[in-house]
Amino acid sequence: MAPTYRIAMVCDFFFPQPGGIESHIYQLSTKLIDRGHKVIIITHAYEGRTGVRYLTNGLKVYHVPFLVIYRSATFPTVFSFFPVFRNIVLRERIDIVHGHASLSSLCHEAILHARTMGLRTVFTDHSLFGFADAASILTNKLLKFALSDVDHVICVSHTCKENTVLRASLDPLMVSVIPNAVVADNFRPLGYPTTTSTPPSSISSPIPGLPPNPSSSLSSSLTPPRRILGPHDPITIVVISRLFYNKGTDLLTAAIPRILAAHPNTRFIIAGSGPKSIDLEQMIEQNVLQDRVEMLGPIRHSEVRDVMVRGHIYLHPSLTEAFGTVIVEAASCGLYVVCTQVGGIPEVLPGHMTVFAKPEEDDLVAATGKAIAALRRNEVRTELFHEQVKNMYSWTNVAERTERVYNGISGAISEAEFYGYDHLKDHRNGSNGSWTAVTATRGMRSGVQSFALIDRLKRYYGCGVWAGKLFCVCVIVDYLIFLFLELVFPRESIDICPDWPRKKKVVDTRREGGGLEWGDVEEYRRRSRPSRLR
Amino acid sequence: MLTTTPYLTIRRPSPTTAEFTLTTCPPLTLPLRAALFGVLCLRFIAVLSVIIGIYAAFFSPTGLLPPPIFPSGRISFLDFDLNNFLLHILHLLYISRPGQYLASLAISLPPYAVLALSALTSYIALFARIHTTESLLVLRGLGIQMSSSVGGGNFFRLGGGTFMKRTRFIPTEKIQDILINEAFKGFEVRYYLVIVVEGEQDVVVCFPRLLPRRKIVERVWRGARGCLYEKDGPVLSAGAGGGGGSHGGNGAWRGGNGNGKGG
Repeated sequence: MAPTYRIAMVCDFFFPQPGGIESHIYQLSTKLIDRGHKVIIITHAYEGRTGVRYLTNGLKVYHVPFLVIYRSATFPTVFSFFPVFRNIVLRERIDIVHGHASLSSLCHEAILHARTMGLRTVFTDHSLFGFADAASILTNKLLKFALSDVDHVICVSHTCKENTVLRASLDPLMVSVIPNAVVADNFRPLGYPTTTSTPPSSISSPIPGLPPNPSSSLSSSLTPPRRILGPHDPITIVVISRLFYNKGTDLLTAAIPRILAAHPNTRFIIAGSGPKSIDLEQMIEQNVLQDRVEMLGPIRHSEVRDVMVRGHIYLHPSLTEAFGTVIVEAASCGLYVVCTQVGGIPEVLPGHMTVFAKPEEDDLVAATGKAIAALRRNEVRTELFHEQVKNMYSWTNVAERTERVYNGISGAISEAEFYGYDHLKDHRNGSNGSWTAVTATRGMRSGVQSFALIDRLKRYYGCGVWAGKLFCVCVIVDYLIFLFLELVFPRESIDICPDWPRKKKVVDTRREGGGLEWGDVEEYRRRSRPSRLR
Repeated sequence: MLTTTPYLTIRRPSPTTAEFTLTTCPPLTLPLRAALFGVLCLRFIAVLSVIIGIYAAFFSPTGLLPPPIFPSGRISFLDFDLNNFLLHILHLLYISRPGQYLASLAISLPPYAVLALSALTSYIALFARIHTTESLLVLRGLGIQMSSSVGGGNFFRLGGGTFMKRTRFIPTEKIQDILINEAFKGFEVRYYLVIVVEGEQDVVVCFPRLLPRRKIVERVWRGARGCLYEKDGPVLSAGAGGGGGSHGGNGAWRGGNGNGKGG
């Protein structure tokens, strides 16, 4: 039986602030607790949310008092976080530090300090970045610094993995892809049977090309009634996004009048707020579309479902997206999804749920037209989407796969099992070397990654001509601070926290037969991935 | 040597009363008493030197003796002049060797430095206390009295009287709950005992000066709850037994902390 761990999730972004990363951390932590681990979350203090808090399930949150500079990211003070961080880590007896989000300086600092203290570290990247502009270059350099000495990296999509590997010059083997998930029960289509006692099983094969599910005939009684659209029934297109440049609001502003002109009996519902909402409003005024475009303004995450079920098509015009949880939520609500083919979006949903468009005005209009036509022909069985999404995405699965990463870096499963036998064999044959050559390169990256200061310095030194030296100085200073703290605040004077009663470790919950194996979806994704994603 | 880390003593004058006292003063042994008496003497000497310094610096005494103690020349009780007597003593001290040494120091320094230095010295000598004592008196049916003081006990025994004593009584009907919480303090996260008082925005922190460690906080918490709320059964079974360690394992104490309000 695999061991359980004490894990600290570190990120600048957490509740009460809403957002994708925030709910990712919360859901993952909850499921890890369900699997018998201990999880705490370290974030900075928010207005009206300070100190040490408990959430459901005994999930403990430390809101460390810190200075916030921009969009709730803290000011990067490389060392000032160390004393508090060390105190928390020692009193909670943490084994693994798991940082989230590349824009969170708290997370990068925590990873650096954790390595200094001799802990295993994991980093999850949630976003894509460019390479060209000055801000990106700076961020990428910082990321490289933070990730020089991390044990393992998790990305939310294959595109994100490529991006991160390039930005931080990582060995692709130490980067895993674990997608986001949705709580499908929170995104149920209108009039969907709410029985949860029946075992969830797919109604038909969710993905064309895979053999149909044998249990489909049994559960077909659960199938919700099919929605038949008449030729003159109105079609509602929903857009829910923050109205920023990178979310493609400009595209949307240009496309809406053309779509509405070409297709009578369609209307738009737009939810969200942001700097670009003024453009949208101007567009509505100029084209006199007040009766066909409804602007809802900012809505809470819990209201998203209620807005979604009012529509037939979900339009996602984003210009860059690492994963795009919102389109999964839309599909789960039984909406046909029209989205731009950027970033990790093509990996997210199978082809029969989506219509892709290039991120340009003409193609977006054409794709929306295609989607409307397909719905009018009643070709798309949107009522089945919910069950299919439910089988594809679950947080339990995400937690299982994250746990495997933890096992890999802490040496609970062997290196060969973690990285794959094939790879090791190839490497041994190809490089004409012996086993030692493998461990020198790859092995250092896996469970036996050395904590010795000199080895860490070697890793940092390679970061760049000047940066390498600068980073080495930082690491040495960090180590000295660590020694100083050991002297001034000795370990014995720190009270140990009693653990919240742990849940019993769950054995693998993968269904045998019946449902869809995760591997199938994964395989499918790999096959369906277009060659050029960026 | 003179202080220890805070330790807990529990006193139970009656079955329904318990006093939890937390002090940094170690148990009084003979060497400690001697040391504390030494500290007291040091304080006395410090104050005396301040007076001599000021006398030397600002009253520019001549080598002559001040006016006689008995102006009339006869030694009689009625004729005793206290001012003259004290001045006499002071002058005697001043012309003694350590007095002369102090005086030369005081004269060599500028007047403001003498004033500042003497203010500082006398403040430390008179008001600084070595020990901190805080206590929690739990009376079933009445309430909780908290007191916190710097210094403790009587003047001569502990090298300084009780000072800056703060006392607060919270009646039972106002107490909503007693719980253990965690909060950031400086560079650490500390456990502390709080009393939630009805009608008050802030919770009341017990032992605010010493902020003892988790083990002590848990013992006091158990004891106080037991004394306040457990109507029958052994009162203070948790606290008075002396061994704080063997109570219900790790998870049990969180019962009251489950709704943990942020500090």
